[in-house]
Order: sequence, then C-alpha cells, then structure tokens
Amino acid sequence: MRQMISVKSLSKTYGSQVAVNDLSFEVPAGQILGFLGPNGAGKSTTLKMLTGMLDPTGGTATICGFDLRQQTLEVKRHVGFVPESGAVFESLTGLEYLEMVAALYAIPEEAARARIRQFIAFFDLSFETLTDKLLGAYSKGMRRKVVITSALLHNPPVVFFDEPLDGLDANAAVGFKALIQTLAREGKTIVYSSHILDVVERVCDRVIIIDKGRLLVDGRPEELVASHGSGTLEHLFTQLTGGGELQRRAEDFAKTFRP
Amino acid sequence: MNAPSSPPSPARTLRRLFLTLFLRGRTSRGLRKASAPKSVGSKLTFILVIYGFVGSMMALGFMGKPVFSLSLYLHSMTLVFLGMFVASSAGEVLFNKDEADILMHRPVTARAMLWAKIGVLVEVSLWLAGAFNLAGFLVGLTSAETWWLYPIVHAISTACQALFCTGCIVMIYQLCLRWFGRERLDGLMTTAQVFVGVGAVLVGQLGPQLIGRTGLKMEVANVWWICLLPSAWFAGMDDALCGTGNRSSWIMAGVGLAATATVLGLAFGKLARDYEMGLQTLNEASSAPRGRAGRRRWIDVLVKAPPLCWWLRDSISRASFLLTAAYLMRDRDVKLRMYPGIAPMLVMPLIFLLQGNRSQQGVSPHVMGGFDGYAVAFSGAYLGLIPMLALNLIRYSQQWQAGDLFRVAPIIGPSPLCDGTRRAILCFLALPALVVFAVFVYLLGRGSSQLPLLIPGIIALPIYALVPCIGGKAVPLSLPTEEAKSAGRGLSMIGVMLISGLLAAGATLAWNYGWFKWFLMGEIIVTITTYAIMRASLAGARWEPID
Repeated sequence: MRQMISVKSLSKTYGSQVAVNDLSFEVPAGQILGFLGPNGAGKSTTLKMLTGMLDPTGGTATICGFDLRQQTLEVKRHVGFVPESGAVFESLTGLEYLEMVAALYAIPEEAARARIRQFIAFFDLSFETLTDKLLGAYSKGMRRKVVITSALLHNPPVVFFDEPLDGLDANAAVGFKALIQTLAREGKTIVYSSHILDVVERVCDRVIIIDKGRLLVDGRPEELVASHGSGTLEHLFTQLTGGGELQRRAEDFAKTFRP
Repeated sequence: MNAPSSPPSPARTLRRLFLTLFLRGRTSRGLRKASAPKSVGSKLTFILVIYGFVGSMMALGFMGKPVFSLSLYLHSMTLVFLGMFVASSAGEVLFNKDEADILMHRPVTARAMLWAKIGVLVEVSLWLAGAFNLAGFLVGLTSAETWWLYPIVHAISTACQALFCTGCIVMIYQLCLRWFGRERLDGLMTTAQVFVGVGAVLVGQLGPQLIGRTGLKMEVANVWWICLLPSAWFAGMDDALCGTGNRSSWIMAGVGLAATATVLGLAFGKLARDYEMGLQTLNEASSAPRGRAGRRRWIDVLVKAPPLCWWLRDSISRASFLLTAAYLMRDRDVKLRMYPGIAPMLVMPLIFLLQGNRSQQGVSPHVMGGFDGYAVAFSGAYLGLIPMLALNLIRYSQQWQAGDLFRVAPIIGPSPLCDGTRRAILCFLALPALVVFAVFVYLLGRGSSQLPLLIPGIIALPIYALVPCIGGKAVPLSLPTEEAKSAGRGLSMIGVMLISGLLAAGATLAWNYGWFKWFLMGEIIVTITTYAIMRASLAGARWEPID
C-alpha cells in the first residue's frame, strides 16, 4: 500500500527544550490515524512540521512523496489542516475568507463557489450569513465549520485535524465523523489529533500515543487496549501518560470544596 | 473582495487580503459587512483629509520660496507623519500571531506574504504622503526658480521617500530578528519603534528650524551636515531636477536613490528568510526570559508596601493595577502600541526646554517679559498628556475578548478597574517622565530655582488621568486593537496641548509677578473640586452593553 505520510526520526528542539524527539511512523492511503498525547506532548508541533509551518530541527518526512524540506510548497498543496486554534480573519465574511483560500490554491472561481455551496449544504450554513456577516460575529461552531471547509476546499489527499470537534454541536459532530470516515474510504489519509478519546477509539483505524515528544505506542485501538489489558483507550492513555492517580486526586480535591 | 472569473495569483490575493484586513481591522465582534461602523477605512479617509489640511497650511507658508527649502520642509514633515504611521502599523501588519495558523500551511511562501504586506504598507503610505503634499505640488510652482515639472518630480521624490521610510522600518524589524532572535525581538521591536518615532519628530522639528535659521537659503555648501538628513536627499531630487540644479543637489538626489535601493534590497530581498523564521517562531511557545519571575515578585512587594498599599486598598483596583503593570512590561502588542506612541510626544517638551534655554542665553529676564520659565511650566503641564494617551492605549489588546472576565466578575461597574489602571499608568509612566523632565530642567543650567514651575502640571495630573476614565471607558485590555487607530485621539491630544499651554502661561505669569503661591492655591482648589465631581461621576458608571 502506498505510504502517504512517511516520517523518519523527526525532531524539534527549542534551545535545550525538546518538543519532538526522534519520531518515526508511516500512514498509508485511506487510513485514519489517531494522534494522541497529553498537553505539551508535541502533537501540535508535529502537525505543524508535517504541514510545512515549522522547520524540523532533525529528521525527514515525505507527504504524498514530496520531501517536507525540499518541496515544501508541493507538500502544502497536497495537505489540508484544521489547526487547534481555529483562527480565521475575523474581519472578512465567511465567503470572502473561503474565496481567499480558494485563490491561494488557484481554484477557479466557479469551481470554488460550487464547492463552497456543497459545504454550506453539508454543514447547514446559510448562504446569507456567509456573504453578509463578518467571521468575528460567527459562533464558535460556525467558525469551526468554515475552518474545516477551508481545509477541504482544494480536495487534498492528506488532511490533518487538530481538535476538529471543538465548538461543533452534537449533530455537526456526528456529521463530521461520518464525513471523515467516508473520506478515508474514498482514499484520503487523515491524521486526527484529539483529547476526546472515545471518539478517536470509534473513528480511527490506528492510534499513536506520544509523550514528551517520544512515541509510546502505535497500533490498532482494540489491539493496543487488549495488549495492555486496559479495557478502554482512555484507560490505556492514562496508564501510559501517568494519569493513573487522577481519579483519587480529583476526589481529594473535590473534598476541599465542602463547607 | 469580488473575485474575477479566473483565479487571481496568490500574490494578488494576498495583497488584496492584507489591504482588506488593514482597512477593516483584524478582529470584530457582532459586525455586519455592510454596516461595520468601526471600519478603519472610514477613519483613514478622515485622516487623509486632516493630512491634506495640515499639509496645505504648512505648504502655503512657503509661497514663492526656494524649491529646496519648500521641499526640505515638506519631506521633513512627511517623514515625521509617515515614520510614525509605519512604525505603529508595521508590527501588527508584519507579525500577527493568528496569521501563522491561517496562512502558513497554505501554498504561499513567506516572501510572497512579506511582499504583499509591504505592498499594502507602501500603498497606504503613498496615500498619506500624497494627501500631505497635495498643496505642496502647487505651491512649488510659485517658486521663482522652478518650472512646471515640479509636481511630477515632487510626486516621484515623495514616493521614493515613502519607499525608503517603509523599507527602513521593515529592515530594522528584520535585523532585530536576525541579530537578537525571537526571545528578545519583542523588546527590541518596541525600542526600534521608539527610536524611529523620536527620530521622526526630531527631524520634523529641527528641519524647519534649520531652514528658518539659514534664511531659507540652505545649501550643502553652507551647511555640510544637512546631507545627513534623509529628507534633504529627497528635497535634493526636487532641487536638482526643477530647482537650482546645483551639484550638491544632484549628489543628495543620488544618495537618496542609492539609499532607497539599498534599503529595499535588504528589506525585501536579503532579509526575507529572516522574516520567514520570524513568522514561524511567532506561534512557538517560548520559555520565559530570565528575571521575569523576579520582576513579578518586585511588583507584588511594591503593591504590598507603603505608600501603594494605602493607595490600592480595594482588591479590584489592586488586581487591575497588577494587570496593567504586567502588560506594560511584558506584552509585545501593548508595548508596541504604548511606548512608540508616547515617546515622540515626550520629545516635544524636551525640544521646548532646549529652545527655551537657547533663547534665554544672553537675554535678560526683562526682555523675556512675564514668560521667563514658560518652557519649564509647559513641560510640567504637558505631563498630563502621558496618562491621557496611555490610558487611551491600554484599553486595546489582541486578547480583548479576555476582558469579558471583568463583566462576568461580580463588579457593579468599571470604576475600580479604571482606578487601578489609572494608578498603574501614573506610577510606571507619568512618574518616571516627571523625573526625566525635572532632571532635564536641572541639567539645562537652571539648577533647582525653576523646578517649582513643574508643580502646576503635577497638581493637574490627577484630572488629566481621570479624563479618559469618564464613563468607565479606561477598562484595561478590553477593546480590539484596530479601534486604536483613531484620528479622534490626535484631535483630543491637540486639545490637551492647548490647555497645557494655557496652564503653563498662567503659571509662568504668576511666577514672574510674585503671586505663584496664590496661583497654586487656586489651582489646588479647582483641582480638588473637579476631581471630586469626576470621581463621583466615575463611581456611578455602569457597564455598557456589548454590541
């Protein structure tokens, strides 16, 4: 099977601080990879390196066969990215923003408009809102829908999602999960980073857990859970990343609120 | 942003994007496109009109005067206005924190982004320069030595100067990034902007005076060091092509062109890679600089010790004081707006003191009449501008939405927050400025004899500081940054300067005619009364609804 993402000994350091340490993995076409780790584990840094936003300190990676360091623009043309921040230019309308993104990928206006209409229909957005209201006035969920649309507008073969469900309501979240599963069946490669582990467990074909920039485990969720005797992915995650004491600590802390 | 049928090039798309963002501002809440009331574009139109008016007033004074004098004056003033505009806008345009997440994973290069941004800065600079020089184009035709080409030549030299000015500021940013790295860039960017602003004011103030002192016949042969002034290079272009056409003008024109080409080459060519690195690192988490924890502790100790602990008894005011102090010292966005905005204003009274000192040398007090020491009194009264300007600017932040916290907290109105902020500004900005002014007065040879003339300004300081708080408006970090680009603020500053001038005139007359202590007593009574009324009004202020 063709490997769409190939990461070899990828590292990123800031002075003496190591954010990503010798990370290696491959992702074939059509796979949904859950990319997990506690806060500060290096997930977002890894995603930013793989989307060409940050230069790696060491190691290499290829996306769709393009070298991340040598062919950065080609890599960017072939990936879509939904960043955790969900940042948009708030003083543009939704349509202006999406048309701007389409122009950056050299998508002709008619094709872009048609694609935007498809997303509007899928996400239950109103076209009037998209043309009339500035993005600063959108709710968090609507803004997230625009960001997801902007990541998929150019039909990229590889898509990176960093907490994509943040702000989406239950219906939109269900629709989104179905969307990425269908996209994967159609051959797209998806890297899905999230803290909502039960969603990852249900949606992803494979899971990688990293901590302190290092890869801890890599495998199918059910196999990993079974091999560690954890019961659920959440238990496995806390077991591996030192969160085993959380339940007891939470109880102790809650007791401090007693009058 | 109506797209044409074929996709525009990424470069064109980016330029249009950044121009739209510049004109509309980068953040908004609850705004519709058609009715965005706080559009920077409409304010810019107003600013262009003001620039045109001010430029006309200045240019008309040079009717029939030599080309070089007129052009030097116009270019000097253009440099002041453009320098301050580009210095205050460049930080936000070049290094926007959210931008990396939106654009850096798209198939565009950092160089393309840099070019697009520079294009916008240059375009807006040209509008401003054009508006400012509009009358100058025609006034130049009245010179005996010029001919009909003057408007065209002056337009070209003004465009060159706008490019030079923008290029210089971009280059300073990039050199800071290259030499000192991301960790120290924030502080250095602020410092660089302060120097650019101060330099621009100095050039603008000293240039016209030099012209006046040389009887409007300024030439390199007479005043060799004039060729060090950038504005003289571009004035040289005008003089070379449609003025006297002498050799020194040609040399200066050549220097101007060479300097512009060098600066543009460095800023947009050689240093573009540094810009890319800067954009990448902007969103990276960086470790806190050494000594930050210590600084925080120092502020904590200060707040808990007399006299501040007496002054900040209310916990909300104290929290607001600490918040303001922290942002004044740490936040890149606030520092970039605050210090470059204030520093050029502070230069004005220092220039005034220098001029006052020079005019007094060899002149008896009898000749000075009742206005001996006016410069000192004006410096004191001018201090009021600092809290006014600073309290206005501290309201704006890129994290303005976090200001909703104040509304969620059980605080009945913004009054205690304004109190804390006001006190922080007085402590950390007005007090140091007062010390600087006092030292300056002392060192200029007046000794301590004229220091009391600063007192009327000090007495009026609490009133000045309360003015921006009226209606509870000085809530720290609670408004989006693009609203800071207000032309109205400049007008209110002119008002403050007029009042300061009147206060200083009264104080100086009282000083010279021996009833200074009566003047002070009268001022104290007026101040206390006004202060009490304003405080009562502020205490009654309630939260305004969010739009």
